[in-house]
Amino acid sequence: MSTEVLRSKPRRSRLHRREHQVALLFIAIPLIGFLLFTLYPLLYSVYASFTSWNGLAAPKFNGLDNYIKMWNDPYFLKAMWNTLFMMIGIPIGLVLSMALALGLNRKMRGTTFFRTVYYVPVISSIAAIAILWQWAYNGDFGLVNQVLDLFGIQGPNWLADKDTVKPALIIMATWKGLGYSMLLYLAALQSVPRYLYEAASLDGAGTWQQFRNITMPMVRPVTFFLVVTSIIGGSQIFIEINIMTPLGGPEFSSASIVWYIWRQAFNNLHMGYASAMSIVLGLVIFVITVIQFRLNRRNQFSID
Amino acid sequence: MKRSRLIAASVAMIATTGLLLSGCSAGAADTGEKQLTFMFRGGEDEKAAYTTAIKAFEEANDVKVKIIVTTADDYSTKLKAAIAGKQIPDVFYIAQGDIQAYVNNGVVLDITDYVEDSDTLDLDNIWEYGVDSYRYDGSLVGEGAIYALPKDVGPFSFGYNKTMFEAAGIPLPDVDVPLTLQEFVDISKQLTKDLDGDGELDQWGTGLNVQWSLQSFAWSNGADFLNEDRTKVTVDTPEFAEALQWFADLSNVEGVTPSTAQAQTLDTYQRWMSGQIAFFPVGPWDVSTYADLDFAWDLIPYPAGKTGESATWVGSLGIAVGSTTEDPELSAKLVEYLSADVTAQQTLVDAGVQIPNLKDMADTWVADSTTPPANKQEFLDIVNDYGRALPANNTYNAEWYDELFTNIQPVLDGKQTAADYLKEAQPKMQAFLDDANAQAGIG
Repeated sequence: MSTEVLRSKPRRSRLHRREHQVALLFIAIPLIGFLLFTLYPLLYSVYASFTSWNGLAAPKFNGLDNYIKMWNDPYFLKAMWNTLFMMIGIPIGLVLSMALALGLNRKMRGTTFFRTVYYVPVISSIAAIAILWQWAYNGDFGLVNQVLDLFGIQGPNWLADKDTVKPALIIMATWKGLGYSMLLYLAALQSVPRYLYEAASLDGAGTWQQFRNITMPMVRPVTFFLVVTSIIGGSQIFIEINIMTPLGGPEFSSASIVWYIWRQAFNNLHMGYASAMSIVLGLVIFVITVIQFRLNRRNQFSID
Repeated sequence: MKRSRLIAASVAMIATTGLLLSGCSAGAADTGEKQLTFMFRGGEDEKAAYTTAIKAFEEANDVKVKIIVTTADDYSTKLKAAIAGKQIPDVFYIAQGDIQAYVNNGVVLDITDYVEDSDTLDLDNIWEYGVDSYRYDGSLVGEGAIYALPKDVGPFSFGYNKTMFEAAGIPLPDVDVPLTLQEFVDISKQLTKDLDGDGELDQWGTGLNVQWSLQSFAWSNGADFLNEDRTKVTVDTPEFAEALQWFADLSNVEGVTPSTAQAQTLDTYQRWMSGQIAFFPVGPWDVSTYADLDFAWDLIPYPAGKTGESATWVGSLGIAVGSTTEDPELSAKLVEYLSADVTAQQTLVDAGVQIPNLKDMADTWVADSTTPPANKQEFLDIVNDYGRALPANNTYNAEWYDELFTNIQPVLDGKQTAADYLKEAQPKMQAFLDDANAQAGIG
């Protein structure tokens, strides 16, 4: 039937048709990949979240039990709080990387060198970095405390103290992400038209005013992109936690939500409960992202 | 036109799916030769040892073994994904603590008949502890049918720095009679000192990690984590509190450990290896590293609490047969090769990463005086006589046990008494244990 439909349209050549079929084939590959490896697991975990499932035998339906359990589980709430707390690093990282980008955007010697230096952590493996920092944070021998010692400060045992373990992780994450944000800002800065600055300076605008009224709005899309992706990435922080504080830190103070989900699913045989928690996490991220898009739309403008 | 596109798209999709599927199955196509999969985790030493064992097995049985190896961190995740995807490997490593859950859920096969009547393996020549760890009778681990053979047994022993003792003129501790806790503290105090006179300590008695050493002191003080039938958490006894308090006091009262070392062994491990610590735990996996140390060291029994009997734990990793295997007999035979093949065992022992699984080989190994430590017998005594399983290894999961260590830091810092803390922790641990037992269908 379909061939008849196509034939009744003389404008479409055979080549055109063939190309369409090939195109569809190309589309089919990622589409099938998505259906099989993203949508199906997603739907299955929604189902699993309503079951008691140990990951070994078949899941047994148990209604809302997992969600009720979650509400009363102090460790779930604590892990959520820890994850949220560690996002303090995001604005700090943005400000720092903006400052760096402004610095490296100037015409001076050695910028390429510094750009590379700041980008090295980004391309390094997170596992290697976590081990490196674990050593640096060592209370006794660690580099961090040795440097503090030079200034006469007695550093804490970073990863074994419930008050310092989260800041320690934030510092590390910021350091790791700095190069990436810096690079994006740098690209955005270089695409700001020069004439805007010229016009502004003719009108008597100072450096701060230029930054505030030209640079900031012009790089806003990048800021928006970075905030959205950092929040999504930040809510899934896991590897560094698992390597640096394998038991979730002193008094559970560095356990992130993904770490807790992983532990429940694969160490404690609570796959159903873990699924329920990951559904909640997914919804939270979704809601936050929607809000961000709304806010962004309100702030949009163009310079035509 | 829209419709035709939709149809074309679905045709294309079906076609591609077909391609994908046929592509997948082509990998596992029947070539007439039998194939087994073996999934494990480990380093170079294990890989090297198993390559020889597997080659011997392949030649003797005309079969191919497909090896899937993962990093230690990834193993449990990947194995559970394989199980959930109904792709259980024919033969795989199983953690000691997983045996109950895996048997209850029909993931592993009962291999009792195969290993008892085996002609490649003499069960009596393998450590009872190693085999019994994988016995399960439906309610208690340790008795009943055999579900796996040991990959290794790991006695967690106690070492001391011989050179340091000699330099300080302190008589060496007896290798047969354990020190009392008081003697241990006294010696530690004598050895905690400032050697170069700069006003800061640079040598300490000990520095232990609570998670790996508390068991020993609790047990030898007459306390335990669970009751006999593993239904009740018993950490709120005076004996247990006394042991934990004593452990915390090593740092806070006696001052025989480096200041910030309570929770992290990283510090004290380094200090021990650079010769600054008198007493430190030693496992078989440490032997190759410790062989290169600048000082002489040896093994002694763990210092003993009130009972006067030394106690410590023995770890183990098992090798099991997946329940969906097409050839249980052959799979069981592969397990036997991996667990007890003489060449493979020798390779692992020579690498200094484990003690032999075979008793007769262990006897030769102990008699060998060319490699440290001199008192290798201590490792065997632990496996044979006084070593116990880690508390969570005999229960459905470890959540109840992990709870004990989650909030323990204030006790180690001296901010809370052991008795208070244990009183708080017991009900929480009990709730987790009840939940685990309910899931296992017992208690």
